[in-house]
Amino acid sequence: MSMDRRFVLKGMALGSLAGLTLGGALPALGAAHGSPRSSAARPALVLVNQGAEQSAFVQGARATGAAVQVRQIGGDLTDLLSLQSQLGSGRKMRLIGLLDDASAALVVDMARSAGARVEWLGQHTARGGVTRHRLLNTASAEGCARQLGRQLHGCGAGFELTEERLGSAAPARQLSAAPRNQRHADQWAAGIGYLLGSLGAGRPTAAPLIAQAGAPLDGSFVSFSIET
Amino acid sequence: MSEQNNGVLPRGVTQQEFNAAVEKFRALLGNENVLVEQQQLVPYNKIMMSVENAAHAPSAAVTATTVEQVQGVVKICNEHRIPIWTISTGRNFGYGSAAPGQRGQVILDLKKMNRIIKVDPEMCYALVEPGVTYGQLYDYIQENNLPVMLSFSAPSAIAGPVGNTMDRGVGYTPYGEHFMMQCGMEVVLANGDVYRTGMGGVKGSNTWQIFKWGYGPTLDGMFTQSNYGICTKMGFWLMPKPPVFKPFEIIFENEEDIVEIVEVLRPLRIRGIIPNSAVIANILWEAGSGNVRRSDYITEPGHTPDEIQKQIQKDTGMGAWNLYAALYGTQEQVDVNWKIIVDEFKKLGKGRIVTQEEAGDTQPFKYRAELMSGVPNLQEFGLYNWRGGGGSMWFAPVSEARGSECRKQAAMAKRVLHKYGLDYVAEFIVAPRDMHHVIDVLYDRTNEEETQRADACFAELLDEFEKEGYAVYRVNTRFQERVAQSYGKAKRDLEHAIKRAVDPNNILAPGRSGIDLDTYKS
Repeated sequence: MSMDRRFVLKGMALGSLAGLTLGGALPALGAAHGSPRSSAARPALVLVNQGAEQSAFVQGARATGAAVQVRQIGGDLTDLLSLQSQLGSGRKMRLIGLLDDASAALVVDMARSAGARVEWLGQHTARGGVTRHRLLNTASAEGCARQLGRQLHGCGAGFELTEERLGSAAPARQLSAAPRNQRHADQWAAGIGYLLGSLGAGRPTAAPLIAQAGAPLDGSFVSFSIET
Repeated sequence: MSEQNNGVLPRGVTQQEFNAAVEKFRALLGNENVLVEQQQLVPYNKIMMSVENAAHAPSAAVTATTVEQVQGVVKICNEHRIPIWTISTGRNFGYGSAAPGQRGQVILDLKKMNRIIKVDPEMCYALVEPGVTYGQLYDYIQENNLPVMLSFSAPSAIAGPVGNTMDRGVGYTPYGEHFMMQCGMEVVLANGDVYRTGMGGVKGSNTWQIFKWGYGPTLDGMFTQSNYGICTKMGFWLMPKPPVFKPFEIIFENEEDIVEIVEVLRPLRIRGIIPNSAVIANILWEAGSGNVRRSDYITEPGHTPDEIQKQIQKDTGMGAWNLYAALYGTQEQVDVNWKIIVDEFKKLGKGRIVTQEEAGDTQPFKYRAELMSGVPNLQEFGLYNWRGGGGSMWFAPVSEARGSECRKQAAMAKRVLHKYGLDYVAEFIVAPRDMHHVIDVLYDRTNEEETQRADACFAELLDEFEKEGYAVYRVNTRFQERVAQSYGKAKRDLEHAIKRAVDPNNILAPGRSGIDLDTYKS
């Protein structure tokens, strides 16, 4: 890589959400079920790993009010080849998901082979109540990273977020905040589920607060929004 | 009709020039085969390397379906000086994925050229287009009940023989050195000519996939890991399906055992007693591909301490080193060779032999046995979950098949990786005389600091190995220029002289293996 390009790529702008205030007023999920923020949220097939059918991500996607069908993906070749076949069938499909690295590497690449459009691609790590997010987005996900940042800040969990916009001459956006509390440790996944579930349905808004069940989500994940 | 709006252009090309080329691509290929919108290009930009995605962002991607269209693409690129980066299935995970080597290059995606042109079960060969996957070929062989089997790399079902062979990838069967089994290529040159290697230029020849060498200079190798042409067909030999297949594993408890393993194994490989590209996987490779995650044992950052690795061994029954090999042939042949192998390892007094009957469906034995018998699976993708975070770069130095050398390389790699807080996740793929020492440098791309560490680590691995006279046989696109330097000036001068002769406009994959007329200074 040439030095000048390296300079441009490294010239990331640092931002901060310290000035943002949400007043801790995250709406409850129950309320959101009855009144989704937008009836324009489109139906989607939601891909998650085995055992995650009630996960925060799925709750977030459901909270959009859109019709969602959840499919659990294992490491089994048959599952993935069946998905590949669906992606390549020529039928209109909208997929959103939060998967482990191995499964996501396969799903996203199968989407490429099928000529699908990918509006959002996120890499996420959640460890010890702190999360990190690296997003590769398009204009159709405009505003989502900022909204996710607000959401994460509102939750009180520490986070780092970097957003690259494909091909944009603008430097990558970086947002971060130190942890304040651990009360809503899984809210990041719900927030992403909600954002992806409502992509294309108007200006992104805050996800409702999910009911956290069990231990907080921990590990490494990939989120995506794919359309054929 | 959508305009190119992703803000990325090929090096030295104006927007106006680029748009003119895109219009010609559309006229040639149809709108649906010219991808310029951001959403269409994101999946081509999912990289696993230690740089920003932006460094490998494409300006466009085009898909061709015929050789004539590939010729047309090349013509347009020459007219407008557009650099193209060709992919077949684009499943070169950890070596650069489907992204272009340099920012702004137009991807020529040959996924739609996916015809299985011929499978000859008597002469045991296949002739295929670049978009054919091993999974597709496997299905064809099964559906037609053909008595042949495939050899492929671990992404098996979704990767393809043309891409893997052109990158000199390897598999795990007796036909595991894939370029050695290649026989006959069709290549579109930068001037639009269609060149066939070996016997392929002889009118009416039926020996293109039979006899490699043809007459005069043999040029097949020149088109692998290079940017001298675009392979549009490739023949390769298929192994006859044996009546008996006997996979086995030998588990070794200690890291130091690598010396004796290799000393016992080498003569067995050279004599052909063990016929396949056997594998010696270390504990972390074994654990990752066996669905164990690092976070199951430790959440602290840094490398995984030896005592944790020992604990994983204890909990799972996996070895510090795990040798996988197989026997193929009639029952008599297999019985004879099995006795020789068992006797040799008994003499060593180390190693616990596990047969298929004993292993059953347990992982990773099951997927290893499948890979060695030409049955596709995706189990090894589990490595990406070992540490998580989406970072993966293969460091693949070549080693002599000598115990002391393998131990030396393993110790060097481990030392450097641990210095940077990363794990030594490795396997040796065993040829008769060499080892492909394949190390997956895994790291978390969400962590900027760790990504920078992985980048520095990879560079130091290259430096440290070079000091000892070692070099890698293949590398990701981030480090291809650096690796080219290891192989010396004379080689690079010659490679660029060839490039000037066959692609003077530097349109075919500039930068591939460090060959780039725009940047190379002799």
